Amino acid sequence: MRSQISHRPKALIASLLVTVSLVGCGISGQSQAPGASTPSVATPPPAAQTPGSQASTGVAQSQNPPSSGGGGPLNTANPSSIPSIATGPATPEPTVAGSVSWANWPVYIDIADDGSYPTIDKFTSETGIQVQYHEDINDNSEFFGKIQPDLQAGRPTGYDMITPSDWMVAKLIRFGYLQPLDKSLLPNWTANAQDVLKNPWYDPGNIYSVPWQAGIVGIAYNPKLTGRDITSFDDLLDPAFAGRSGLFSEMIDTMSLTLLSDGVHPEDATMDDVVAAQQKLLAAAQSGQFRAFYGNDYYDALANGDLAVSMAWSGDISQMQLYDNPDVKFVIPSTGGMLFVDNMVIPNYSQHPADAYKLMDYWYTLEAAVPLTEYIGYFSPVKGVQEAVTADAQTAAADGKPIKAAHLTQIANDSFPTPEELQNVYNYKNLSEDEERQWNDLFNQVVNG
Amino acid sequence: MPRHLRWLTPYLFLIPGLLWLTIFFVIPMIVMASISLQEGSLGTGYTLTWNFGVYPEVINTYLPQFARSLVYAIIVTVATLVLGYPIAWTIANRGGRFKNILLLLVIMPFFTSFIIRTLAWKQILADNGFVLGTLKDFGILDPGAHVLASPLAVISGLTYNFLPFMILPLYVAIEKIDPKLTEAAMDLYASRTQAFRRVVLPLSMPGVFAGSLLVFIPAVGDFVNADILGSRDTTMIGNVIQRLFLQTNAYPEASALGFVLMAAVLVLVAIYAKVVGANELTAG
Repeated sequence: MRSQISHRPKALIASLLVTVSLVGCGISGQSQAPGASTPSVATPPPAAQTPGSQASTGVAQSQNPPSSGGGGPLNTANPSSIPSIATGPATPEPTVAGSVSWANWPVYIDIADDGSYPTIDKFTSETGIQVQYHEDINDNSEFFGKIQPDLQAGRPTGYDMITPSDWMVAKLIRFGYLQPLDKSLLPNWTANAQDVLKNPWYDPGNIYSVPWQAGIVGIAYNPKLTGRDITSFDDLLDPAFAGRSGLFSEMIDTMSLTLLSDGVHPEDATMDDVVAAQQKLLAAAQSGQFRAFYGNDYYDALANGDLAVSMAWSGDISQMQLYDNPDVKFVIPSTGGMLFVDNMVIPNYSQHPADAYKLMDYWYTLEAAVPLTEYIGYFSPVKGVQEAVTADAQTAAADGKPIKAAHLTQIANDSFPTPEELQNVYNYKNLSEDEERQWNDLFNQVVNG
Repeated sequence: MPRHLRWLTPYLFLIPGLLWLTIFFVIPMIVMASISLQEGSLGTGYTLTWNFGVYPEVINTYLPQFARSLVYAIIVTVATLVLGYPIAWTIANRGGRFKNILLLLVIMPFFTSFIIRTLAWKQILADNGFVLGTLKDFGILDPGAHVLASPLAVISGLTYNFLPFMILPLYVAIEKIDPKLTEAAMDLYASRTQAFRRVVLPLSMPGVFAGSLLVFIPAVGDFVNADILGSRDTTMIGNVIQRLFLQTNAYPEASALGFVLMAAVLVLVAIYAKVVGANELTAG
C-alpha cells in the first residue's frame, strides 16, 4: 500500500524536474551563444536576391581590412568618398516580395489596445507588404554579437531592416555589413528629413542609414527625493544621493557623459581623458554611490522612487511624466548631453531589400511619423511632425478632450530639442576596435564590484 | 538479436542519450574550450593561439566575483536546507492524503517564469513599495533604508528561487524511511532528538546530498538574481560572464571564465562528496 501511494509523487517529481531543467535551459539559451538563435533557413546565394551593384558593393566593403581604423583617423574625418558613392550608377529597382522582417527595440512603436501595430498595419494595407516586426534589439553590442556570425559568414541574418544606434551603425559600416542605400528609392526621406539629423558623424552623407528616432542622453531626477534641482553630471556623484544614483550599463553612454563632465568632448577624448573619467567613476562606485548600472530597467527604478537621480533617455521621461510619475524631470547636464540617433539600415544579404526600402520611406511620411511620435514621444527625424502634433493637440482641446490635448502638447514641447538645447549635445567617438576594447576593460572595472 | 550478443542490449539503449550529450554537451564544450584559447577580435577574426595565459589572467581579474559567488551559493544551500528540511519532513510524514497537493504547492512557483517571479520581488521590496513604504510610514524603518541592491536581497532571491530543488529530493529521501525505524529507536530508549539524529537524518542523507547539488550548482552560476535584485557590490561571476559575452563581445575571456567556474564547481562537489559520502547516495 505505502509504496503504491508513494509511487505517484515520485513520478510527478521526476517529470517536473525534467520539465524545469528544460525550461531552465531555454532561459539560459536565450541570452547566450551569440548567433545561436538566428534563423538558419537555407537560402540561395545573396546575389540572386540583391540587385547586382548592392551585392558587389557589400563584398568590396568587407574586403577592406577593418583594422585600418586602428589608431588612425576617425571615419568622421574622412568625408572625401561620399559623393561618388551617393550618386553612383542607378540600380535597377529591386522587386517587392510582399514581406519584410524588421528588428527594432522594445516599446519603440505605436501599439493599439488589442496588441496590434496600427501604423504598421496601415503600411501593410497600402502596400500589401507584410511586416514581421521583432522587438529583438535590447542592447547594441548584444545584437551585434547575434548577427555578426551570419554576416561574417555571408549568410542572411533573417532581418531585412534593423534599427541600431549611431555608434553601432559606424561599427557596422566599418565591418562592411550594411548595404548602401539607393536614395532614388527613398523620395520621402529626400523631401521630409530634418536637416539637423542629415549627414551625421556616424554615416557622412547618409550612405547606409536614415534616422529612425532620436533623443538625448541626459539626467532625470525626482525633486521630491533630491530636494533640489539637478544641473550637472557631477550631481550624480553627490554623496547626498549615495545608493540612490543610477548610471547606464551601456559603456559608451556613461563614459561619454563622464568625459563631458570633465570638459572633454567625447569625439576628441584621448586615452588619458578616458582613464581620468574612469577613475572618477570608479572612486564613486567603490564608495557605494551608485545603486546599480541599468539598461532599460532604470525606468521603473526611477518611477517608483528607488532612484533619486539617474542617467536617462529624454523620450522615456516624457512618457514617465504622463503615465508613471509626474514629478520626474529631465535635464541636459550643464556640461553637455549626448545626442543619440537610432537608424534604419539594411544589413547585407537581406532577402527583401525592396520591401525594406518601402518601409523605410513610409516612416518619412507624415501619416506614419505623426501617430508614431504621438505614441512614443521621441525626437522625430521628419519635418513637420512637431507642428502636426501641436495642431492635433489644438484639435483635441477643441473637441473637449483635455487629457489627450495635454498629452499631445507635452510631446510637442518636450520631445523636440530646441536649437539652444541642440547646442549643448555632443556626438559619440567613433571607436576603433582597440579603443572599444580598452574603454570596455576600464568600464568593466567600474561595473563589476 | 543472437543470444551471444544480448549483452549489447543495455549499451544500445544508451545510444540516443549518448548522441544527445555528444551533440549538445560535448561539442559545445570543445568549441568553448577552443574559443577560450583564441586571440583576436570580431573585426580581425579570432585565431587559435593556445593562449593558456587567459586562464590565470581571468582568475586574477575576477577572483572577488568568484569568491562572492561561492560564498553566496554556500549560504543559499544551507538556507534552503534549513528551510526545506522541515517542509519535506512534514509533507512526507504528516501530509497524509494531501501529499500530492502539498507537493504541487511546492512546485507551483515554477508555473510562472523565473524572471517574472524575481521581478515581482523587485516590486514588492521597492524602497517605497508596499512593504518598505508601509514600515517607513510607521517610522519602524529609517526613510533611507533599502533591501534591494544589497547582498541580503540577492541571497534571499536565490534562496526563494531554488528552495523547491531542495525540498523535492529531500521529500523523496524522507518519504522512503520506514516510520517503524523511528519507533524501534524510541523503543530502545532513544529520545526524539536522538532518533532523528541517529536514524532519520542519516537515512535522509542521499536527499540532502542531491538537494545540495541541485541548489548549489545553479546558484553559483546564476546571474538573474544579482542582476535584478543586486547592485555593483553583489556582482556574481555569472554577471561577469554575461557582460563579457554580450556587452563586451570578449568571447575568449568569457569562455575561459566559464571553464574556471566549471572546474571550481567540480572540485567543490568532489570534496563535498568525499565528506558527505557519495556512496550514501547509491546506498540509500
